[in-house]
Amino acid sequence: MSNKEEILKNIRLHTQETYEMPLITLDAIHYPDKVEQFIQVSKSVGGNAVVLREGEDLNELIRSLYPDAGKSASNVPGIHAAINPDDVRTSQELNGIDLGIVQGVFGVAENGGVWVVQNVKERSLYFISEYLVILIDKDQIVDNMHEAYKKAAFNDYGFGCFISGPSKTADIEQALVVGAHGPKGLTVILR
Amino acid sequence: MKKETHIHAAERFLNNKKNAVWHDETLWQTRAKRDRQAALIPEWEQLRELASKIKMHTITHLDHYLEQFAAAAEKNGATVHWAKDAAEHNAIVLQILQQHQATQLVKSKSMLTEECHLNPFLIEKGVDVVESDLGERILQLMDIPPSHIVMPAIHIQREAVGKLFEEKLNTEKGNADPTYLTRAMRKSLRQKFLASTVAMTGANFGIAETGDVVVCTNEGNADMGTSIAKVHIVSMGIEKVIPSHDALSVFVRLLARSATGQPSTSYTSHYQKPQKEGELHIILVDNGRSSILADKDHIQTLKCIRCGACMNTCPVYRRSGGYSYSYFIPGPIGINLGMLKAPKNYYTNLSACTLCFSCNSVCPVQVDLGNQIYKWRQGLDSIGKANRTKKVMSDGMRMMFKQSGIYHAALKAAPLINLMPRALIYCKADKWGIGRELPQFAKQSFNSWWKKEVLKK
Ligand code: SF4
Repeated sequence: MSNKEEILKNIRLHTQETYEMPLITLDAIHYPDKVEQFIQVSKSVGGNAVVLREGEDLNELIRSLYPDAGKSASNVPGIHAAINPDDVRTSQELNGIDLGIVQGVFGVAENGGVWVVQNVKERSLYFISEYLVILIDKDQIVDNMHEAYKKAAFNDYGFGCFISGPSKTADIEQALVVGAHGPKGLTVILR
Repeated sequence: MKKETHIHAAERFLNNKKNAVWHDETLWQTRAKRDRQAALIPEWEQLRELASKIKMHTITHLDHYLEQFAAAAEKNGATVHWAKDAAEHNAIVLQILQQHQATQLVKSKSMLTEECHLNPFLIEKGVDVVESDLGERILQLMDIPPSHIVMPAIHIQREAVGKLFEEKLNTEKGNADPTYLTRAMRKSLRQKFLASTVAMTGANFGIAETGDVVVCTNEGNADMGTSIAKVHIVSMGIEKVIPSHDALSVFVRLLARSATGQPSTSYTSHYQKPQKEGELHIILVDNGRSSILADKDHIQTLKCIRCGACMNTCPVYRRSGGYSYSYFIPGPIGINLGMLKAPKNYYTNLSACTLCFSCNSVCPVQVDLGNQIYKWRQGLDSIGKANRTKKVMSDGMRMMFKQSGIYHAALKAAPLINLMPRALIYCKADKWGIGRELPQFAKQSFNSWWKKEVLKK
């Protein structure tokens, strides 16, 4: 008998009373102003979210947010960046990127998360960049995670991630430090 | 070998008074943060109820969901391995490393690999195992185990970390600033990440419908590791499978709020397919879990999502620290898991509970932790481990409560204790008295006060 069969057999042997799957119908939280809520939570988790105003230039906004950023990387059409991350051969070549600018799919008002599906050759860009900017449409914000998972889908890369704020740790005496291994700062731009 | 009991280990912890107070207060703050987050979600209690029901359903249909999960994962291009126990799990990991001639393995936090003693096994085989979660890395360099399942280094003070890094990472002498130290580790581990060809993570959830594995971290270490290395090994307990993304939405709303009082972890990563030209290996580990299914008193331990909330709230854990428990998972859930693993080895942990049931009321999946501890205690006789003194005392109490005449006579006499000398009240036989101050008995019993003052009016 294979390991798999043995484990399954043991499970069947030991399973006693069984329980029904509950209906997941829930009157889950929603917010009068999803954009405002998204911005507030983003700040509370150590990140930032800003709305691109009418007539404002996206590249200028990014530059004003990260004036000191050296090497930037983006494959988003119309974004000025030093390199196109799709041109690198290996993940390692992305080490040293100051600012990654990527496209997200939608945001979640209840926790500031943004669903990002891999749309660059090396997904390490999302984590290895010193700072990260995620772009989403401002009408692409859902109230809560139940709605989010109804929308979240994978593409051919088969990797997706809800990113909520920058990388952080509190492992030394519970003192919050932003920028553990991943980005030291995160801005979501709603446009 | 005589095992140290929880009481003695706790005493040692409490000897460092300053640290003990800090530990207690810090964990309580985490509990308070959890409360604040829960209060922001009007449907919080409904979510807990749902989470509990989804888990009960899944673990009692585990064969079905595991098969569905494995089939979906394989369709996505992952390789699924099945391990009956820790030894098989470790052998599979080693085999994958050898296939790729990898001498280094970057890991993100996983309690299951701790359970399987994977690190010492691999190190003995010459593998450079690198823990990448900051807390875990600190402990690895100190060569000590975690004392909490979510905040592994909660018992370590910043000065100790500073000293350690001076030695291992050449940081400035006397600098114990958490930001400075975290940056130093960031730099050091970045090199490890860049050099690694195989990375390993645990799994918070496995989704049967889609075959993806979900990992929640704040540091981004799981993603840093698995996005650079082309080979990703996932170590996943068989109880981690859940039916669908719909079900997942319930759990992710509860997990970080319960664990650390955050609305979400920074990263909720879904690994569905191997990287291009890479491999994704998922090891499904039983290691005793399938047998727990038959134990109706303790089956609910299989619902646990390892959030650590029961530790943060536990008045005993907060005041005695993770090392006071002899099982590698401490706190209320650890007491129960230890008993399921080997009751004769871990029964002394049962004393680390006041039966306040605070753990039951914070647990996001409603594991009946306190009830289970109570049941274990009732069963101690059957493994020959009941505490003789306490047994005589509680047998006596039972007799007293049963026969109301004796009970009322005893109550009438109780105020006399106020006049008794301390030596008599806190005699040696009274183990309960150690650390417990007896309250002053009221001059009259509640019963007689009620009769005199209330009924006569
Ligand atoms: S038993 Fe409940 S509270 Fe304790 S770690 Fe598990 S899920 Fe969290």
